[in-house]
Order: sequence, then C-alpha cells, then structure tokens
Amino acid sequence: MDWTYIQGILMLAGINMIAVLGLSLLTGFTGLFSFGHAGFMAIGAYVGAWISASPASTPAGMGLPFILAIVGGGAAAGVVSYFIGRISLNLKGDYFCIATLGFGEAIRLIFNNVNRFGGARGWPGVPSNSSFLAILIADIVAVLFLANLVKSRHGRNMIAVREEELAAQIAGIDVFRSKMTSLVISAVYAGVAGVFFAHYMTFIQPKMFSLTKSTELTIIVIFGGLGSISGSVLGALVLTALPEVLRAFEIWRLVFYGAAVILIMVSRPKGLMGGLELTPSGIRKWTAERNALRQAKATLLAEDSGRKED
Amino acid sequence: MAAILHIRDLTKQFGGLTAVDAVSFSVPEGGIVGLIGPNGAGKTTIFNLITGIYRPTSGSIEYRGKSIVGLEPFRIADMGITRTFQNIRLFKNLSVFDNVLTACHLSANYSFAEAILRLPRFRAQEKHLTAKAEELLGIMNLSDYRDLIANNLPYGLQRRLEIVRALALNPKLLLLDEPAAGMNPDETEQLMRLIVRIRDDFGLSVLVIEHHMDLIMGVCEHIVVLNFGEKIAEGSADEISKNAQVIEAYLGTSEEAVDA
Amino acid sequence: MVQFLQQLINGLSIGSVYALMAVGYSLVYSIMNFSNFAHGGVIMLGAYFGFFGLTLLKLPFAVAFLLASFGTLLVAIIVERIAYKPLRERKAPFLYFIISAMGASILLENLVIATIGPTFRTYPEVFPKTPIELGPLAIGRLDLIIFVISAVSLSFLIFFIDKTKLGKAIQAASYNVKACALMGVNTDKVILTVFGLGGFLAGIAGVFFGMKYTVYPQIGNITTKSFIAAVFGGLGSLPGAVLGSVLLGIIETFVAGYLSSQFRDLIAFVILIAVLVLRPTGIMGKVTEDKA
Ligand SMILES: Nc1ncnc2c1ncn2[C@@H]1O[C@H](COP(=O)(O)OP(=O)(O)OP(=O)(O)O)[C@@H](O)[C@H]1O
Ligand SMILES: [Mg+2]
Repeated sequence: MDWTYIQGILMLAGINMIAVLGLSLLTGFTGLFSFGHAGFMAIGAYVGAWISASPASTPAGMGLPFILAIVGGGAAAGVVSYFIGRISLNLKGDYFCIATLGFGEAIRLIFNNVNRFGGARGWPGVPSNSSFLAILIADIVAVLFLANLVKSRHGRNMIAVREEELAAQIAGIDVFRSKMTSLVISAVYAGVAGVFFAHYMTFIQPKMFSLTKSTELTIIVIFGGLGSISGSVLGALVLTALPEVLRAFEIWRLVFYGAAVILIMVSRPKGLMGGLELTPSGIRKWTAERNALRQAKATLLAEDSGRKED
Repeated sequence: MAAILHIRDLTKQFGGLTAVDAVSFSVPEGGIVGLIGPNGAGKTTIFNLITGIYRPTSGSIEYRGKSIVGLEPFRIADMGITRTFQNIRLFKNLSVFDNVLTACHLSANYSFAEAILRLPRFRAQEKHLTAKAEELLGIMNLSDYRDLIANNLPYGLQRRLEIVRALALNPKLLLLDEPAAGMNPDETEQLMRLIVRIRDDFGLSVLVIEHHMDLIMGVCEHIVVLNFGEKIAEGSADEISKNAQVIEAYLGTSEEAVDA
Repeated sequence: MVQFLQQLINGLSIGSVYALMAVGYSLVYSIMNFSNFAHGGVIMLGAYFGFFGLTLLKLPFAVAFLLASFGTLLVAIIVERIAYKPLRERKAPFLYFIISAMGASILLENLVIATIGPTFRTYPEVFPKTPIELGPLAIGRLDLIIFVISAVSLSFLIFFIDKTKLGKAIQAASYNVKACALMGVNTDKVILTVFGLGGFLAGIAGVFFGMKYTVYPQIGNITTKSFIAAVFGGLGSLPGAVLGSVLLGIIETFVAGYLSSQFRDLIAFVILIAVLVLRPTGIMGKVTEDKA
C-alpha cells in the first residue's frame, strides 16, 4: 500500500466525517433519526459542482472559486432542510424517519430528471479541488464548531429534547426550534460534505446518493456511539476504511458490511465510545460520574444497614 | 390576596370521555393549594391543560390576569409556570448537575455566534449559570450527588431533583404532581417542610396534587376536590375533611377498589 | 375511455402486487412498531427462487411458485431470528431494529450479487403473451392471473387473521403486546407467524414482480414503493395496506400514462410526503392524542 492510496482513503474518510458529524448532532445529540441525509449531500454536491465547474464543460458551471462552492453547497442544503423541517419535524418517532427517507429519495429522483445537471448519466466535469489539506481544515472546523455548540445553552437544549421532549418543553425549551436548528446545521454539514465529495470524485451521479448512503451515515454515527463527537470521528475513520480494506474481497465486502451492521446492532448497542468524549474534560467527567455512582451506592448501603439496626 | 392563577369552567374531553368538566378555582398569590380526588378524577389532566400540553375543549385559564389558553408549553414555562410529573421525567442520562444546568438556560441570553466563538459574554453568562445550578443543588441538599447520572439516583431524590429543575426556571407558580408518591413517611414529612420552605424562600405559589392526606392537610391552605372530572368541593382542610360528598367520593372508590 | 379502463386494469394489477408486499410491512409494524426494511430483500429472493425453480430445476410453474413462497417464508423467519430477536430480548429502541433491518437488506442484496451476479434476468414465458379480448379491451393474461392470485392470497390472509386462534392472537398483540404477554399469549410465536405470513406473501410478490418486469438484485429499491403504499394506507393496518397499494398502483399507472413515465417513481414519494403532512397516520390508521 502506497501513500497515495492511504491518502485517498483518508480523504474519503475525512469527507464522510463531515457528514457524519452533522448527523451526529441530529441523531446523537438531538435524538432525531434521518434516512435522507444523502439527499442533502446530493444538493451540496450538485450546487457545488454548478458553482465551480467551468462554463465550457457540459453540463456548464459558473467557474467560480472552490470556496464559493463550499459556501453555496452548504447553504443550499441548509435552506432545503429548513423547508423539509417545517413540514416534518412535528411528526412523531418513526414517521419523521420515514419522511426523511421520502425526501432523500425524492431529491435523488429529481436530480435524475434534471437534464441541466446531467440527469441520470451524471456530471463528469467537476474540478478536482478537494485537497487533503482542505479536507483536514474542514474537519477541524467541523469538530470545533460542534464541540462548542454542544457545550452551550443551545446545545444543552438539543440534548434535553433527546432525553425527554415533554420535560424539555416544560423547562421552557422551544423544542421545535431546537430540532430545526439541529436539522439545518446537520444538513449544512452534509451539504459541505457533498461539495467535497463532488470535487474529490470529479464525477457525480444521482445514484451515489441513494438510501444506502444515508443508511451508511447513520450506521457510522451509531457505531461511534450516540452523543459522542470523538465516537463519530473514529467511526468515520474505521467504517470508511473497512470496506476499502475489504476491497481485496471485492464482491464480498458489502456482504460482510451488512453482516457487520447486524452484528453491531445486536451486540454493541452503545457504540465505540458510548457517549464518552476522548478529551481531558470528557474523561474527567466520566471519572466523576463513576465515582459518584460508587459513592452513592456506598451511602445507600450504609443507610440501609443503619435502618436495619434501628 | 390577588389570584395568580384563575381557572374558569375548564373542560377537556377525550373523544366521548369528559376528563375535566367545567372546573373553576383559583390559586392565590403566594398560596399553597391542594388538588385531590380519586384515581382518574382529572387532576393530571388539569396540569396538562395549565401547562399547555393539552388544549382545553372550553373554559379559560388566566395567569396574572392574562389568558394562557393556546400558548405553547415552552411559552407558558417562560412566563413562570412550571411543574413536576407524576411519572418522573428527568433527563435520565445526564448528571444531576447537568439536569439543573440545562433548566437554567432562561437566565442566559448569549447568542448562537457568541457560543460558537466562545466570546466573553458567553463565558461570563456560563459562569453565572454554573454558579446558579450549584447554588440550587446546595439549597436542596443534592450537592453530594452532583455528578451522579440522574437515572441512578434513588427514587425519592429523583423527585427532589425534578423540583430543583423546576426551580431553576425561576417560576412564579409551581405545579407538583404527586410529589410524595413512593416516599416513606419520613421522606414525606421532609417533603412537606420543603414545600413550605421553597414557597417562602422563592416567593412562589404552589398547586399540589397528592394522595397522601397528611401532606395535603398539613401544608395546603386551600383544597379543591375533584371526582369524575367535576369539582365536588373546595375549602380549608377542616371544611374538606367534614364534607359529606368528599367522604362519599373517597369511600365510594375504596369500595370499588375492594371489588376490583 | 378505453384507454382509461386499460390503464385502470394495469394499475390494479401492479397495485395487487404492491399489496402482497405492503401487508408484510404492515403486519410487522402492527406488532413490533418498526419498518422492516429487510422485507425488500426477502421479496427479491422470492423472485430468484421462482426464476431458478423454473429455469434450473425446470419445475412446473405451480411447484416453482410454492418453492418461492416457502423459501421466502423461511428466509423471513431466519432474518427475524438473527437480526431482530436479540434486540427484542434487550428491548432495544425501534431505531436499532431499523438499522439492523438495513443491514440485513444490504447483506441479502449483496449476497445475491456475489453469488448469482448483478445481471438482469428475464423469466421464461409461462403464460402466453396473447391478451384476453374483452370487447375493445385487451387484458394481459399475466395481469389477470396476478390480480386473481393476489386477491385470493390476501383473502386467505384476512381469513387467517380474522378466524383462526393464532390470527386473533396477532390482532390482540397489535393492540398491546405487553398485555398479551401477561395474559399468556406466546408473543414469540405470534412474531414468528407474522414474519412467516409476510415472507410467504413476499415470495408470491417476488415471482409476480419478476414475471411482469425482470429479476435483478436491486428489486428491493422498488419495493420501497410498497412500503410507501403501506404508509399511505396507514402503517399497521392490513386493509389500509391493501387500499394504499391499489391506489398507488392506479395513480402510478395514470401518471405514467397521461403525464410522463419519468414521474412514475417520483409520484410515490410525493404521495408519501403529502400523506405525512396532511395525515401521518394514513387513510385507515388510528389518530390518538399523546398521553402526558
Ligand atoms: N391523552 C388522553 N387520552 C384519552 N384519555 C385520557 C388522556 N389523558 C387522560 N385521559 C383520561 O382522563 C381521565 C383523567 O385522567 P387523569 O390522568 O387526569 O387522572 P388523575 O386524576 O391524574 O388520576 P391519578 O390519580 O390516577 O393520577 C382518565 O379517565 C384518563 O384515562
Ligand atoms: Mg394523575
């Protein structure tokens, strides 16, 4: 394995990581599950391609700088997600999932039919702008943004919604707004990931953004552990690399992948990190919680035996 | 005394069932009012109506002279009404401290951008929130359990934590739904003192649902009795304990309970 | 007018295949409250079982047909045992079921690609192509047979649910699984029956789907539409699933016939979104106020 090959896998993992971090906010921190985030990636990818592709290529683009493609792709996904959220965020549990699935597939089918963007045949002329460095910077920004968000009142409100929606409302939290903020941010992340993806592959096609892609993102979030940013980072690295490593088995790799998904669900429901953060403060918090539990057990035992002696 | 909460002809129907039937009563500013009645009498439904979780079929709810019917629950909480739940609803996987800290959010107003960029206003206000949460835990004797995951807290303390979380919102009116459920007489006794103390210290008004008659008779200045959704009596503890209809309602249900 | 009737008949035919698939989603949803996305993979296997029964084994149609339906019955039960039972026992949240189902669906699809290959295969001609002439109308022989057998199978299902003891247990469990378990109903058996029934009908649907179109590993993607039909009718309701499917079949055919065949696939999702916005519980689902 040479460096270019490894670098390629890392870049793909880094791109996936952006989308996964976004979905982690929605799923891990806000408790909403989406099977439509590939749709937001598609929007980012196509809008990004449209902004940066050369006007001379077919389909024609605008030939603007890459940075504008990133901004435009992310913003477009965010705007679309806002309208989807208006419609679907009030739905309960399973039905929100189903709605996102419907929207995700609808977005893909729409791109299938838009000839301006190449239709089902795809868009071949996307400039190759996704450099290793650009992806790395995007990942760092994405992690910092998320880490600061979840440790603010806005982020805590989202966590409260995940934990107990009714109690969150009663605690004066505008649940709908928290969900909406979370959804839009996660869609922007997905959109940006889509832009990077398009400029990494240099060729995009609607069928790259199918339900399977959405599922893959959710699987990575769960594999990493709900409510853990470090889990999402590790999850994206491991689960993007895994199918690539399995590429030697070529046709069997997705069979293994499916089996692995079932195995993860069945055996390790808390995921890699199980809500824990691999940072100094995260570890401190974890130890504090463990000590508190041990102490509480000790006090209760003491009280119990005290009562018996009475 | 002026009324902080004024309920008139409040009615709620679920399909054919009238859970609350033209009930009227008020809670005076600074008062502790008890809401009692047999199982299924409609007590919790009234809480759900006041806090905006259900919309009334008809009738009015006025809080400090303004109608709050049709407002969303979080707005009602914003205005100063908050509650605890009969079947405890804590943020289960968060620590005791984080439960309270989350509920303190109304005492901060830094913007989204300030949070992401960690600007000074964010830092200052977060410090203030942390101090406030610590202080509340201290007042309510929960500091020892600060880092415990709420779900691991003993039952009685979970109920107390729910009250702390409610207090974090700086409420003016606190609704307690069976706060003594599952507590032993000792703990109930403690709770009674606690209710009176928070009313005095925090200057709020309390409406409490309870089945423990000792608690109700001990702390409530005024008691409202419901049966099958209707108000059958109201008055002081003395008046209620002598009321023939109330005695019948309770005896009636206890007989049914024996039959069942 | 003739064209209208012709379209209606086509719509009914495809709608009845959707119905065979949709009841599988709905049955599982009614008991376990999650959308079993592995069902698409089971249907796909049914199409292959039937195909190889006819071509490799050279079985008569009726035998190949039964082979397919009993084969998928078995597959559905195996999927339940491996992918869901451990989750059930752990009382995992519904999402884990959905993800596990997605995993099973990825596994089945790619297992077929790896072993049989990704190529499209066409069923041998079982029924003559010549249509039955009914006045000015020409009804495809296959369409008619599909419609009749589907209707018979669905009637059998409804009979089973309404009249047998096990069927009644399924109904009871769909109201309240926990209460049923307390009353001594063997919920494990109920769940196996539900998967078995869904799997059996999935086999029939797979064969018909393969005969009407072609067989390929990604058939599962098309079956998403039957899932939408189940949502359309009201997830968890059997009559709803049938009604939703027939309506979807008809609407699709009309859209393809009168507007453009490009919108054919899109219309299902448009319906899905409209239903979720206007009436999330579908046509026949119950509307309830949440308990606080
Ligand atoms: N969301 C709902 N849908 C239908 N019926 C409801 C709903 N909520 C409450 N009810 C019914 O309204 C009636 C009153 O219920 P409520 O919970 O208010 O009683 P309660 O007085 O709090 O009783 P308890 O002492 O048992 O808590 C009951 O018959 C209950 O079944
Ligand atoms: Mg109650």
